[in-house]
Amino acid sequence: MKELIKKLTTTPSPSGREEKIKQTILEELQGYIDGYKIDKLGNLIVWKKGKKEGKILLDAHMDEIGVLATYIDEKGFIRIEPIGGISPYNLLGSSIQFPEIEGFVGVEGETSEEMAKNIKNLDFDKIFIDIGAKSKEEAERLVPPGTFGVYSSSFRDLGDRIVSKAMDDRIGCAIIIEVFKRSTPIYDLYGSFSVQEEVGLVGASVVAFDIQPDVAIAVDVTAHSDTPKGLKRISLELGKGPAIKIKDSASISDRRLVEKLKYLAEKNQIPYQIEILLRGGTNAAVLQRTKAGIIAGTLSIPTRYVHSPHEMVDIMDVENAVNLLKIFVESEESINL
Amino acid sequence: MKGGLRVDIKNILKNLSNLDGPSGYEHKVIEYIKSEVEKIPNTTSYIDNQGNLIVKRGGKGKKIALFAHTDEIGFVITKKEFNNYFRFHTFGGIDPKVVISQRLRIHTKNGIAYGVVGMLEPHLQTEEIRQRVLTFDDLFIDVVENSEYVSIGDLATFSSEAFELNEKYIAGKALDNRASCTSLIYTLHLLNQYVVENEVYFVFSVREEDGTSGASTSAYHINPDLAIVLDVTHGDISRPGYPKIETGKGPVLDIGPMVDYNYFEKVKNTAEKISVNYQIEPNGDHSHTDTDRIQITREGIPTLLISIPLRYMHTPYEVVNIRDIEETARLLSYFIAIGGE
Amino acid sequence: MLLKELSDLCGVSGFEQEVRNFIKEKIKDKVDDIKEDKLGNLIAFKKGKNNKKLMLSAHMDEVGFIVSNIEEDGKISIIPLGSIDPRVVLGKKVVIGEKKVTGIIGSKPVHLMTGYEGVSSFENIKVDIGVSKKQEAENKVKIGDFVSFAPNAILHKDWISGKALDDRGGCSILIDLIEANIEPFYNTYFTFVIQEETGLRGSGVAASQIDPDYAIVIETTTSGDNPEFPEARRSSELGKGPVITPAHKGYVNNEKLFNFAIKVAQENNIPYQIKRRTVGGTDAARIAITTGTPSLVISIPSRYIHSPMCVVNLQDYQNTFKLLSNIITKEVK
Repeated sequence: MKELIKKLTTTPSPSGREEKIKQTILEELQGYIDGYKIDKLGNLIVWKKGKKEGKILLDAHMDEIGVLATYIDEKGFIRIEPIGGISPYNLLGSSIQFPEIEGFVGVEGETSEEMAKNIKNLDFDKIFIDIGAKSKEEAERLVPPGTFGVYSSSFRDLGDRIVSKAMDDRIGCAIIIEVFKRSTPIYDLYGSFSVQEEVGLVGASVVAFDIQPDVAIAVDVTAHSDTPKGLKRISLELGKGPAIKIKDSASISDRRLVEKLKYLAEKNQIPYQIEILLRGGTNAAVLQRTKAGIIAGTLSIPTRYVHSPHEMVDIMDVENAVNLLKIFVESEESINL
Repeated sequence: MKGGLRVDIKNILKNLSNLDGPSGYEHKVIEYIKSEVEKIPNTTSYIDNQGNLIVKRGGKGKKIALFAHTDEIGFVITKKEFNNYFRFHTFGGIDPKVVISQRLRIHTKNGIAYGVVGMLEPHLQTEEIRQRVLTFDDLFIDVVENSEYVSIGDLATFSSEAFELNEKYIAGKALDNRASCTSLIYTLHLLNQYVVENEVYFVFSVREEDGTSGASTSAYHINPDLAIVLDVTHGDISRPGYPKIETGKGPVLDIGPMVDYNYFEKVKNTAEKISVNYQIEPNGDHSHTDTDRIQITREGIPTLLISIPLRYMHTPYEVVNIRDIEETARLLSYFIAIGGE
Repeated sequence: MLLKELSDLCGVSGFEQEVRNFIKEKIKDKVDDIKEDKLGNLIAFKKGKNNKKLMLSAHMDEVGFIVSNIEEDGKISIIPLGSIDPRVVLGKKVVIGEKKVTGIIGSKPVHLMTGYEGVSSFENIKVDIGVSKKQEAENKVKIGDFVSFAPNAILHKDWISGKALDDRGGCSILIDLIEANIEPFYNTYFTFVIQEETGLRGSGVAASQIDPDYAIVIETTTSGDNPEFPEARRSSELGKGPVITPAHKGYVNNEKLFNFAIKVAQENNIPYQIKRRTVGGTDAARIAITTGTPSLVISIPSRYIHSPMCVVNLQDYQNTFKLLSNIITKEVK
């Protein structure tokens, strides 16, 4: 599964520009699905028929956070705007991958005091990208305003731990692909690979319209508490299993779905954790309030350094998420909540 | 009017207040309301896939739907510290100060456990601790009994027991929004004194305080011609630039861009006609109730927001005046009976 | 171009009737169908050659206030509708309610200030309608009445200054497109929507009734091209043509529509600019999440929006009209 994750995380596809990752995901699913469609917003929906009447939807978002090049100054330096929750601090000392070229992040500072002050209170007003261009024209040719960029980052295999940009939420995409590959679903199984989650849960707001599943589970990353002086109020550790979400700041998982996931995990001896996320949300929020309402929840992968160029997950958590979801989609009692 | 309608409003409100139903976990409250509603003739009820209780009074023509959320603010255990100590988070907006020195009721898989939110004794406090603005990161629960039952993810609520405060008032937790639920139950009783032609729905909804609103998905499903949301508002407290809303002075008719001004005039005229004392409250961009979402559901739904004045919102002892609950029901039942015209 | 007339109408979020009635009168005989929905959105339809549906949307509402209380001394308390910086309201003339009662948001004379007196919040801001007792005030206004900046537009040769150019500019463009009697390529819905400023509230409701294949929102947007704001952080510049937005709060505009709009501008030698900031949201986001419609925002650049004195360059207005009049005759490719 590491090869799949590597392929997905290294594909550049920020919110609103998900063409590449969509194609990659479709290629991976060839032979494992009965059909697919792409809706008007660009969401990819795939399905595999089951034996009994009922529908389960698994959702992951295809997009990653990134930047938008908006302005080139007279000397060829590029100004950027954030796409999704990308912190300017995560850009310090890092580089951005545009379609044609890599750019390096610099900070304004007319004096060393001003530079220090800017770094203390960093925002997008004070940073710029240098692609090594020597003129405005040269820069505009390579990165015209309106160009999107993502973190430059490579995939690292550290054994149990793997690191890359965009684990959020390519890890969710990978998990759903594996579920399609490995399971024989009882009910009709739908997979939605949604667009523009990072800017406002956009794609998932409409993705379930025509499906109207009995249950929807978003698969996404969550926070962690297991680093030095890590978040003191929650308990989420890498390697202790996928996390069944109780709530985050956007939604409260349907309690019956939470109980069912816990029950199936315990029955099949799959390790799991219980998640409360203090700040952050997933597509489950908009899936839950689709039209007349859908029973929804989230299964999460504890992740370190979310929204940085080097997000870290534990491969066993990922495998166990696949196992749990495989059991869920193969279990007759999954949608009888 | 049929003779002698005896509905023990105080008792229903106290029962509702004492039941625990934080957002997403309202099922016990929903079951109780269902059992109360099943005593009322001419109604059918069911629970939808989000957990909302929908009560229907058959009819034809204009569809009127009333909404009251059943959930209360609450807490969830997030981490186990050493011995009996746990960390926790909130469901809904709660001021950390009101949680200090409270006893919380925790629902564990083995039953109820009680925990105390401790505060360091003054003798041991440093100047820094004394001055600090407290957040939930500073608080912890000391589970004084059955701490081995408690797991991460267990829900908890205030443990206040509702009581009569000087006859006219009820004090207790969760009167936001159990006061409105009580008023709707009473309205359902009162409706049987009229000939009601319209199709009427009463939705006792989930997840208003936190999570995604059950009222808005229910509104999508029902698609009423008029939606009336019943919630609570701040009473007997001074708000600069706002009119003074008082408990005991009757239902509050809310006005603002999220309210249909034609229906506002109609319900105001109705109140005047049947001598229900009412108050008026303005809203700006948002009302912070289910009204905001319901109005822009589907192809648009004309909405009204009516509120019951309440003291000490989102604290362990909220206070309402019973008369306001009765008068609100009197207004609503008459207004529905005349088809909302 | 009816921009001055539209600017002078009072249409605060939730109280758009004056604007709606004016627009309806102007266009009702020039479209194939027109209707008002349950919340007050105005939806006009012109048949095209292709059965796909294009929604062109502008919002009728402007930022303003609502009367929140009548004080004992006859002064009126207000709360804002939409995002308004309290500092822009001091010393301004306003009109209240359907009776158009005039008032002033007074400001403390400088002679009486001791040192710098900080920014007021809306709690301290009161409207003076010239009465000294609560009862007198209650005869003229009531809680829930709208409060609008007073009409003040002046049309110059190449410029217009006045209130509510956000988004009467967009409304004016839509009216011009209808009056020009251009035959659209797609079945085109011209929607004049309500309550954008208070949370993008009308456009989704309108879109639900149409279920469009494409949507273009016509807005009047921020610029920042003044001496107090660094050039590198400007959103757009006046005089440089219509602004095409790649992304903003809550939504990344559809790539195909974005490239298409630029192509049309280039092919027709229409100056245009790409919006440089992603701050602020528009109805494009609401429409996308309601009906899953790929959307785009094209705006007239403006200075000082959300204040009683906005400025628009009429060349930019004309070029925005020109761009849209070309766009609506073409297939999105």
